[in-house]
Parts: sequence; C-alpha cells; structure tokens
Amino acid sequence: MEHSAERVVDTVKADRRRVLIITALVAIPLIAWTLTQMSLLSFGTQILNGLSFGAVLFFLASGFTMIFGLLRIANLAHGGFYLMGGYVGITTTLVTGQFWLGLIAGGLAIMVLGVFAERVLLRRIRGLVKPEVLLTIGLTFVIGDLSLAMWGGDPRTVPLPGYLKGPIQIGDSFFYPKYRVFVLGLAIVLAAILFYIDRRTKIGAIVRAGVDDRETVAALGININAVFTIAFMFGAFIAGMSGVIGAGFLALLPGQDFEILLFALVVVIIGGLGSLEGAVLGAAVVGLIDSFAKALVPELSFFTLFAPMAIILMIRPNGLLGKAP
Amino acid sequence: MNPLRALSLTRRVQLALLVGALVAGMVLPHVVSSFILRLVTLALVSALFAMSVDLMAGYAGLVTIGQAGILGTAMYGVGYVASKTDGGIALQITVGFVAGMTAAVIFGLMAMRSSGVYFILITIAQGMIIWGLASLLVNITGAENGLPGIRRPVNIESGFRYYYATLVVVLICSLALFVVVRSPFGHALKGLRGSETRVRMLGHNSAFLKFYMFLVSGFFATVAGILLVYLNEFVNPTDVILGASALPVLMAILGGIGTLIGPFIGAFVIVFLRNWVSLRVDRWQTLMGLTFILVVLFAREGLVGAVSAWWHKRIDGRDGGVSSVLHEPEKREAVLSESG
Repeated sequence: MEHSAERVVDTVKADRRRVLIITALVAIPLIAWTLTQMSLLSFGTQILNGLSFGAVLFFLASGFTMIFGLLRIANLAHGGFYLMGGYVGITTTLVTGQFWLGLIAGGLAIMVLGVFAERVLLRRIRGLVKPEVLLTIGLTFVIGDLSLAMWGGDPRTVPLPGYLKGPIQIGDSFFYPKYRVFVLGLAIVLAAILFYIDRRTKIGAIVRAGVDDRETVAALGININAVFTIAFMFGAFIAGMSGVIGAGFLALLPGQDFEILLFALVVVIIGGLGSLEGAVLGAAVVGLIDSFAKALVPELSFFTLFAPMAIILMIRPNGLLGKAP
Repeated sequence: MNPLRALSLTRRVQLALLVGALVAGMVLPHVVSSFILRLVTLALVSALFAMSVDLMAGYAGLVTIGQAGILGTAMYGVGYVASKTDGGIALQITVGFVAGMTAAVIFGLMAMRSSGVYFILITIAQGMIIWGLASLLVNITGAENGLPGIRRPVNIESGFRYYYATLVVVLICSLALFVVVRSPFGHALKGLRGSETRVRMLGHNSAFLKFYMFLVSGFFATVAGILLVYLNEFVNPTDVILGASALPVLMAILGGIGTLIGPFIGAFVIVFLRNWVSLRVDRWQTLMGLTFILVVLFAREGLVGAVSAWWHKRIDGRDGGVSSVLHEPEKREAVLSESG
C-alpha cells in the first residue's frame, strides 16, 4: 500500500533527524571545549548548567507542545503562566515556609487561570487559529502587568529548603549546586511520566488519537471537549509549577514572561510543534547552546540561539521532529 | 455633466470623508497644541507601521508579531550613525534604510516557507531576538541607556514642520500601498490568504511571494522606523519589545484588518487612548491586553467593518460590510509538493 510505504519513509526520515539532534547534543559541548580549552571542571559545570536550564525549558515546552498537539492552540500565555506561577509559589513558600506547598500552589493557581482561559475565552473562538494566538498574547500582557502591580519590579527568588541549598560534591574537587541537580532529576521524572502516559495509558491513547483526528475521536463517543480542558489544565499546571522551579535559580522579574517564552518557542521550533520527544531534545539543545554561549560570547548569546533556528527553519519549516501541517 | 454624479452615494461619501481628513490634516497644526500635534504625528507614523503589518496580516493572512524588529533595526541604524559617528543626515538615513531592509531580507528568508501558527511563532522569535541583541550589544546599541544625541534634520526640526514632513511621507506611502494592494502582486497576496495551494497551482512560487511580501512590508516598516526615530530623537530596547510588535497588529484589527483605512483609524484610537490612560493610571499594559482580548472576541470586523455594515444596511438595505479576514477558519489543504 502506498500509504504505509510513505509511513515507512517518514519513520526513516524521522530517525535520521533524531540521530542529527543527538549528534548536535554531543557536538555542541565538544566544539565549545576545543574552541576554548576550558578546564574539565568548568566544562562539566557548563554542561550541567545547560542541562538544568534545559530542564526548566522542558517543563514549559512540554505543556506548550501538548496543548498545541491536541487543541492546535499556540498558547503564548505560557510565559505569563510561568511568571505568575512563580510569584504565587514564592508568596506561598514565604507564608507557609514549605517549598513543596509553594510548588503545588503555583501550579494550582495557574491551573485555575488556565481553565478560565480555555473554557471562558478560547472556547468562543475554537478552531480559529490566528484569533486564538492573538487572544493568548493579550492574556500575557494582562497577566504580566497585574503581576507587576502585585509583586513589584524587583527580581525575586524562591526561598529554598535546607536540604536543597548549598553544593553537592562529586569526586574530590567538583562542587555543584544541589538545587540544579534536583531540577534536572525532576525533569527526568516528569519526562518519564509523560512518556508513560503518552505511550502506555488509555488517556494517552485518546490524546494521541485526538492529535491525529479529533472528529473521529469525538465520533467514538469520547467527550473531546473534556479531554481538551484536561489537557489545558495539565499544561497550565506544569507551566505554573515550572515558574516556581525556575525561580529557584533564575530570578523572576517583569518581562521574563516573554523572555522565557522565546526560549520555549525556540525549543518547539527546533523540536517540532506537538512532539513530546522534540520537546526533550530541543530543550537539551537550547539549554546547552545557551549555557556555552553565555560563557564564551555573552554579548551574542541571543544570536547563537537565532542562528541554528534560522538554519533549521530554512531546511525544515516544521521543525526537526514536527509533523507536516 | 458633473463627474461626481457617476459615482455611487457610498463612493461620494468616502471621497468627502477623505477630502475632509486631508483638509483637517493640513490645518491641524494651526488649531491644536504642540502636545496634541506630537501625538498626531506619532499616530501617523504608527498608522504607516500598522499598514505595513496589515499588508501581511490582513491581505496575505500571515500575522506577524515581529515587525518591530524591522522598524527597530532601522531606528538603530539611524541612531548608531547619529550617536556614535559624525555622519550627516543623508548617511544616517541611508544606514537606517539598509539596516531595516537587511532585517527584512533575513526575516523573509527564515519565514518564507512557513504559514499559519508556525509563521506567527517564527516572527515572534525574530522580533524577540532583535530585542535581545538590542539589550546585549552595549557597544553598538547602548543597551538600556539607548542611543542619545539623534537630531532631526535642521529644516524640519520644529514639531510643526516635522508634522508636515511626516504627513507628506505617510501620504505618499499610503498611496503606494494603495497601488500595491491593487496590483497583480497584491491580488496574489490575497490569494495566499484564501488558499496557498491554489496560488501554487496558478503558477506562483508561494515562498518567493512571501519573501517579496517581506521586502515590500519591510520597506514601509523601515520608513516608519526612520520617521519614528527622528520624532523621538531616541531609541532604546523598549522600541523593539514584543509589545511594540503586537501594537500594530492590535491597531490593524481594531480599525479593520484587510483594509488600508482600518490601520489608520486603529492607530489614532490606540495612540490617543494610550495617552489618555497613561496620564491617569499606570496600567496601560493591562488595558492593551484587555483590548486585544475584547477585539478578538467581539469586534471581529473592527471599527471600519462595523461602520460599513451599519451604512450598507441603512442605505442599500444589503447585508454588506467587511468580512473578518482574521476569523476565517484555517483550511485543511492537501499538500501537493512538500518533500522532506
């Protein structure tokens, strides 16, 4: 059958691209190392910095890409979700003294906001792609400005519990912040959970079917609107939580909503919209590029992000692991 | 025989409004305060900028939220020569123009093969990266401190004269855009909005078409940037933030997307609304966001569409008006010639 032959060709191509991204993951640090002859210790530090920043980006991009895959909404308010979730988490942690409560409060607050956005605002223009994007931009302005009114313009960080403070010792002379290692671990756990849900559970099967053909899923008697809302809730929850997690080592300040959104966008543009795997690989690539660029050419650190994105877009307009529109 | 009689009532009213607006534009500086005149000048520049966005968003159906990247690069080009070298006005404008068009070329090359949501995301990233460079390249852009020491050309230095200079440039550009959207190129752009597949079937290369669209739209954004930098006599990263790219989109939608007069009206409404609000409360961003949400949800055809629908219902009894360009549902197209 012609159709399945195309499928095979697609799979082979996707495999080739996967190899390409993983090669990039190995090549970026190696090239940076040969270029600068940095010591092994600072080289290791840069890799961990890149991967832990990539972990925060993955939290954000995974929700973004899932909402896009299922609802076909590019939710640009994700950056605003991150910022406000972080602020809520900081305040909760300060009041209760519990970091974990802050983490959950940040996620829950944004989940409520997300449900409001999905059920009250976005549902009115369901399926109208451009208005949906513009609406989420408007929402980001409101969220960002109200956050500024409530939490002020000074950089804020979340107070960490004692067991996450300070450095961790690896070997004799290598010290690295415990918290960043914790974030990296958390991202691996989340990725594992998401992959498990996606590949092995019924809800994952429904979501994957919904990505391919939502009309058929609805015709099979599944309440697709409820699935949409749950997906949006979940994506918003992770985004709010990622703000609290990020606030542990990246200070929150006004304007960061758009800055972190840009990084998340580059992750999904490189990885491909709607692809969970693309989000994992894209986040690692972007985190590493950012980390080494900041260490080597701090003034050009945005440009180093721009160049690979430009090249990928010219060759593959839908990202490396994205599906054809 | 009066040639005006050959025109329909609608055309005659439109003509009268246009002449009225022109006359008002000519006599305005003699009537209003210099503060209001400055706002009107800003609104004119914003209108030109919003029209450049509308050419993409309204005519070709490709929404860009990175156009301030082109406008801002032109501003920085002028500002760099004025602030860091002793180049004269001619050199300033030349460098500003080349800088803006270079940005347009690069943006175009990156985005020309994409459409729909991907196009929006790419243009956002482009605009944001210009902002990142503006904030980080201290030696060239002065980062947050911006580039001071930009002065208007001597013979149009006063706000009064600068207004007339802006008016003339914006009118010429509007006329040029009027010609562009009615040219075969303009119709091909509108074709992109309807169906990219069909445009390709008719023998156009849709990627090249989008690239040319970036050049034409970028030209007008560049001109707007040069006008803006001399109006403000300053440039810093706030000129290229995401809000600066989103604002012309809001102006176009509020006024009436897919028309040339819409962005004009939207620009005047937004500029004066912003000024009115900013004098009272410090929450302009919230209001801008809310306006975005409300316009997208409820005022789909914009002010021009609303007025036009009301007029046609009253005069012709037909249910005319502008159909919403933005709210056309995305068509699922068969992909004809896409290969890895």
